[in-house]
Amino acid sequence: MRGRIMNAVFARMQADENVFFLTADMGINLVEKIQQVFPSRYLNVGIAEQNLIGICAGLCNLGFRPVAYTISQFISHRCYEQIRNDLKLHDYPITLLGTSAGFDNAPLGPTHHIVDDWGAVRTIPGIDIYCPSSVSYADTLVDKILAQPRPAYVRIPKGAFEQPASRDDTLYLEGARGGPLLISYGSTVQTCLALQARHAEVSVLVCNRLRPLQADLVRAALQRHPSAFVVEDHFPSSGLYNMLCQFCMEHRLACQLSSLGPREEYHLKVGASAGYYHRLYGFDEQGIERALWGQSHALIDSPNL
Amino acid sequence: MITTPKATRPPHKGSVRGHPIEVRKSVLSILYKSKASHLGPSMSAVEMLLAIYNSVDLDAIRAKDVLRPRVIISKGHCAAATYSVMAHVGLMDFRTLETYHQDDSALAGHVSHAVEFVEHSTGALGHGLPVACGCAMGLRARGAPQTPVFALLGDGELQEGAVWEAIMFAKHHQLANLILLIDDNRISSITNTAEVINLLPLKDRFAGFGLRVYEVDGHDVEAIIEAIDDIKRIREVSVIICRTTKGYGVPFAEGEPIWHYRTLNEQDYRAAMAYLEQGQI
Repeated sequence: MRGRIMNAVFARMQADENVFFLTADMGINLVEKIQQVFPSRYLNVGIAEQNLIGICAGLCNLGFRPVAYTISQFISHRCYEQIRNDLKLHDYPITLLGTSAGFDNAPLGPTHHIVDDWGAVRTIPGIDIYCPSSVSYADTLVDKILAQPRPAYVRIPKGAFEQPASRDDTLYLEGARGGPLLISYGSTVQTCLALQARHAEVSVLVCNRLRPLQADLVRAALQRHPSAFVVEDHFPSSGLYNMLCQFCMEHRLACQLSSLGPREEYHLKVGASAGYYHRLYGFDEQGIERALWGQSHALIDSPNL
Repeated sequence: MITTPKATRPPHKGSVRGHPIEVRKSVLSILYKSKASHLGPSMSAVEMLLAIYNSVDLDAIRAKDVLRPRVIISKGHCAAATYSVMAHVGLMDFRTLETYHQDDSALAGHVSHAVEFVEHSTGALGHGLPVACGCAMGLRARGAPQTPVFALLGDGELQEGAVWEAIMFAKHHQLANLILLIDDNRISSITNTAEVINLLPLKDRFAGFGLRVYEVDGHDVEAIIEAIDDIKRIREVSVIICRTTKGYGVPFAEGEPIWHYRTLNEQDYRAAMAYLEQGQI
């Protein structure tokens, strides 16, 4: 996914001399081509995320469209105040590319578990938020963002998923009538698609764009189902579960929402892969099956909310 | 390190727009009228601001030329002084200045880009220098590497880590068009800077990062302008440490940390104005 997005950035830099790429010393084997071809619009600012955002703001002051790249938790947390004051307060159209999502970096420990990144960004108004679920969507994402005069945060999951082969911001994959609805984004969409392949009655709503939500499609999907399960590798209290609870209230929807995501904690025990944590927190395939059809799973009740 | 002793400089040529005493009167007036704080850090920065705004192409700023010089006031709490200087050099009308801290005004207590000709909003410290570095890089990328970018920081602000991220960046990229000025008033927020985090002697900190260091009397406009001119000519990554007094020009506030926060009552205001009227500073 990262490679596809970086290819799209490169293509935009060829077409638009205002696009300026910056990295906080990340992206080995991804950024070199940009550096070689566009040396005057490439900057490695070093491991200094606060400075990264400030420099982006200064470049915006000169009319550039900066695209800033580093690991998701660093570009969302370390420089939160810079995003608030230097980016959003000035309505600078900076694109923040965050690599890795959820438990992509599972064995690296909790400092690298990205379970509260876009939820933090979401507290700042006016920043579009994307989490692509497939390479088809990733291919078009950079063009889509740079066509808008707004800042954006992109949470890029590891993996290069071919499905769903769609470029739509929101995608409703309807199952057999009357079945449950799973709502997801990013790499956990793959879990939902696997379940749908085994259980034809399952419907899946894919939200590649998390803010603004595509209200008409989301509302239509929620109106079709009396209950829905939000599957995400992010804390539910600041994630899509929370966002959809508010959405249902504001749109007077009766859909009963449940959360299938990580417990709101920073876990100290090592998991060798993301699957360890998905199993632990009950949002792997078996965990979701239990939630849908088996005994009530303890984690459905949205802990710590 | 370069110092510019007062005795070696030519006498005042009278070419500087805006007089420090008149600017201070404006600062006093708007702070008193609005019952606003930040008297101390505003008074320490008056001459620095005059030097900066007398060193830029004001016409390019008024025209909003994309290649205009940039002024980034990182110690955003000197807004009263910034706006007063802007009024005295002709970048703001005095009626607008009088709206400071008033309902529906754009003139908040920290520098805001909602005010015409202000480049960047600040107030949270440590933000301005990275933005200035971005402006300097942007001017270089636009083919105008000579166009100056000014960044005004407080000495207490140097406690913010992002400042040093930007200093390392500026030196690495040889941002010679970046002109960094430090308001070295030796008071942080609630006490003396040296008691909080002692960075003295400041010149050694900057020299350690490879910057050319100027130390000047921060209440001598021409000395500051001379240092700015020297940097423009020599084109090395530099810093001007301006030795100032917090609250300068208001005797009862000079060197007193409380005047970062305290507001002027009528007696204070009249006493301060009377002192300035005598032209004693």
